[in-house]
Amino acid sequence: MEKETWIERRGDAELIEPIAVVGSPGLRSIGKLVMGSLIAKTKATLIADLYSTHMPSIYQTKPSYAAHPMLPGSGGVIVKSGEADFPKVQFYACSTPSLIITKGYHANFEGQYEVAIKVLDFLAENHVRRIIVVAGYGSKDKKICGAATSKELVAEMKEKYNIDIGYSGPFMGFSGLVFGLSKRKGMEALCLFAGTEPKEDDLEFPDKEASDRALDKLHKILGFHE
Amino acid sequence: MNVEIKMLNEFTPSQLILVCGLPGTAYIGKLSVDYLIQQLKAELVGEVYSKYFPPFVVIREDGLVELLRNELHQFKDESGRTIVFLTGNSQAYSPEGQYEIADAVLEWAINNGVQRVYSIAAYITERPFEAPNVYCTTTTLALLEEAKAHGAQLLDNGVIGGENGIITGLAKKKNVEGACLLAETHGYQAPTGEYVIDPRAAKAALKVLTSMLNLKVDMEPMAKQVAQMDEAIAKLVEIERRIQKEMAVSGKKPAYVT
Repeated sequence: MEKETWIERRGDAELIEPIAVVGSPGLRSIGKLVMGSLIAKTKATLIADLYSTHMPSIYQTKPSYAAHPMLPGSGGVIVKSGEADFPKVQFYACSTPSLIITKGYHANFEGQYEVAIKVLDFLAENHVRRIIVVAGYGSKDKKICGAATSKELVAEMKEKYNIDIGYSGPFMGFSGLVFGLSKRKGMEALCLFAGTEPKEDDLEFPDKEASDRALDKLHKILGFHE
Repeated sequence: MNVEIKMLNEFTPSQLILVCGLPGTAYIGKLSVDYLIQQLKAELVGEVYSKYFPPFVVIREDGLVELLRNELHQFKDESGRTIVFLTGNSQAYSPEGQYEIADAVLEWAINNGVQRVYSIAAYITERPFEAPNVYCTTTTLALLEEAKAHGAQLLDNGVIGGENGIITGLAKKKNVEGACLLAETHGYQAPTGEYVIDPRAAKAALKVLTSMLNLKVDMEPMAKQVAQMDEAIAKLVEIERRIQKEMAVSGKKPAYVT
């Protein structure tokens, strides 16, 4: 194999200055749930799959986003509806509003930077200037707080969408690196963190209520009218 | 992007000296170099990014996201010398990454006419002491004699782990004068396994380093500065603790069919 991380095009979309929305199976699966709901709501269509030999189909770490250098996991395929395919990051697009919805997948310790950089390259090639990341943070407060790549964007979140900063600390895995590396790739990014109570025995156990709160906020930012 | 050194402004060094103090045992190198950066008001001139840093970012208290990175800060003294300090919030995790980053920084320094490379690290000892000794390993005997004249002692045997050690080894291979100063520490570890910072050791290392560099640095505010750094590094330690907690192994062995 020549490449460790590659993209396969699945379709085209006419997009004008799309906003990228990014989420992955993280704490209480907030990002994953929000991406699923957003794809359903917008009827977005699949435009590309990103594969990487650094993506395990079976993780040795739990949760999946807590990569460990000694625990690379095992490669393999995932079978869905009788069809086998490798683990992948998926890009969906819709034109109104102009969005690229990115369903993330956590590479292992070795490949997380590489996958995040490839994702950002793809988004940049598709004229994305702004990225909105959605994730969870451990808190008993049922609120949404934010973070961003610039002070101006932090101020904009507060003024336009009434989102305060609140979470500080590490942000691990796919979405954290896409968020952190975006500025280096010439894009700006903001992140919505939904407060959710960690379930110690299963940190990725879905929290539908928290993801609905994040989705509601995301709809307001994207200008959806319920 | 294995390693990328991004210069923020035009960089025009003269008689360049590189001083490395990346986070390691008891944070002695980082503590020392960060203190000099503050005291000398050294200016951030470059950033080092790499895929070899651990794969997470840090959300700061002001809401901004920060990548793990190393930083280059420059200080130009009255004689026209340029001293660049290498510090950062992380080291590469693997030996491969540590070699690549140290090599990239050293090559950058060589391309900018570096004359000497210093690094600061820890020497863990069980010996009871009132004042920590500072040991030294150098790339030339002449430099060793110089270091001794400024209060360092020869390091007979030992291991210098991480980039602070690797850069001295690479300097020797590339015929660049280099000295690694190792301050004695008891290397206390918190219950979580993290090293507790040792400002006393940093102060001892700085005494030798500033003497060798002929730098006048006010050491009086050290206690106050150390308290502030203590707080900042405590946050780093807290982040590491949380990362380690989340890295708990599931106990499940990989199976090929589930």
